[in-house]
Amino acid sequence: MSEAAPVLATKSLVSGYERDLPIVRGVDMAVGAGEFVVLLGPNGAGKSTLVKTIAGLVPVHSGTVTLGSREITALPAHLKVRHGLAFVPQTENIFASLTIHENLQVAANILPRERRAERIGAQYAMFPDLAARPGQRAGALSGGQRQMLAVARALIVEPSVLILDEPSAGLSPKIVGDVFERLSEINRQGVTTILVEQNVRAALAIGSRALILVEGRIAHEGSAAALLDDPIVAELYLGARQAGGAAA
Amino acid sequence: MTLQILVDGLIAGAMIGLGAVGITLTYSILRFANFAHGELISWGAYLALAVSSGIGFLSASLTVPLAPFSFGWSLPLGTLVAIALTALLALIVDAVLFGPLRRRRGAVIILVMASFGAALTLRSLLEFIFTSGPRYFTQELQIAIRLGGGARATPDQMLVIAVAALVVVGVHLLLTRSSIGRSMRAVSENQQLAGVAGIDVRAVVRIVWILGAALACIAGVMAGLLVQIRPQMGLDLLLPLFAAAILGGIGSVPGAMLAGLIVGIGEALTVRYVGAEWRAALSFVVLVAILLVRPQGLFGKADR
Repeated sequence: MSEAAPVLATKSLVSGYERDLPIVRGVDMAVGAGEFVVLLGPNGAGKSTLVKTIAGLVPVHSGTVTLGSREITALPAHLKVRHGLAFVPQTENIFASLTIHENLQVAANILPRERRAERIGAQYAMFPDLAARPGQRAGALSGGQRQMLAVARALIVEPSVLILDEPSAGLSPKIVGDVFERLSEINRQGVTTILVEQNVRAALAIGSRALILVEGRIAHEGSAAALLDDPIVAELYLGARQAGGAAA
Repeated sequence: MTLQILVDGLIAGAMIGLGAVGITLTYSILRFANFAHGELISWGAYLALAVSSGIGFLSASLTVPLAPFSFGWSLPLGTLVAIALTALLALIVDAVLFGPLRRRRGAVIILVMASFGAALTLRSLLEFIFTSGPRYFTQELQIAIRLGGGARATPDQMLVIAVAALVVVGVHLLLTRSSIGRSMRAVSENQQLAGVAGIDVRAVVRIVWILGAALACIAGVMAGLLVQIRPQMGLDLLLPLFAAAILGGIGSVPGAMLAGLIVGIGEALTVRYVGAEWRAALSFVVLVAILLVRPQGLFGKADR
């Protein structure tokens, strides 16, 4: 666990789509302010379900989710956003039928009217690719541009915590590098970041700490650097064939 | 084709189009075919009749026809109140029936069947309260105005076309230029993503019911003004409405209006060249043809 005061914490969290079939099975985690936590684990470990639960998209069976000093377990997704929790889903994370500008406007609606233009402008400044074509239909964007738009949409509300579910899925290695570089930059600006990833090496390279989820429970945690160099952990939980080999 | 057939088709199409806009909005956002929409049309007409009659009872001067139309101020005022009451009725039906089914993640077919049940209940309730006999907003006779080319239309009929055009433009601007419209389009595309984008999906759903009910009420008043008010009027309109909504492309407001006009003109042509008894069949033919040839409709997206 981080030494910093937790900005996001779960306690004995159990969740899943069906009441009698929990996928997340008692997760205790605490993420300190400004941390960049990478959530790893084999396929089916419950990583996506865990972050969707935190975001309010999967029913909680028991346990709690706390954001800062506020318990947000039972809050619907849209209220969690208002309290500073932003989530970027793995797929279908933009409104394809809306334009780039409309995607940002939709997200900015929860801000006071006088701040909306300023926050949309801030996203255009951070993602110049989007600023170059605000009227373009989002569905026509490339994979990398879609991820940028999804992240920009999430950042509009200046969240205290940004959670991303496999933003590298379906992207070329070069684009993944661009996306991860941008995520590092966002984290350096003070946004606490939680990243679910299958691209283990790339994720550990930018994360400060890693949690490894196995069968719905946190099996290991430690600094990203330590896990990156731990051959046993890599072989058991990250799917590496050998130390230094490609991870699953 | 004589010009009169075109005018008759446009008048019928305006009513169909307006109802179809309501259908297409609720269908695209609530994700089920609401067969009780026809009953919202009927209830809208009856509520406008009841309120305008009440207003007329309180002040007879408000029933004096506003030349060149056949009705007095009591009808537009009554319609405004009826819009609010029809919206309230739709919200009650949603709270009692559709809302609980959505929360239980009921299958679409369950929602559709529930809408059939709601339609039967609402229609029976109308017959119980108002009886099944026809009612009229006004008994005033209107002289049709020459439009040229041998075509004629009454001022009420021309008003209906104008109101339909204004309402459709208004709804289109609401959807494309306002923040609530963008939220509605976002919810229509992806409800989960809308939630994590900070949109209160339940509030948007309520707004969709209110808007759909308002459009149904206006369509009901227009149909009642030009024809008559009967408990079955919504049911009779249902097939043309769905034909127009699907022909226009689910989710497309201009598409629904244009398709409504196409169905209306098609009905007028059918009556003229085939026979009045085949009028209803035209909508069914259009519905089947569009589902076979271009299921996404004229303005819909292929992936929906």
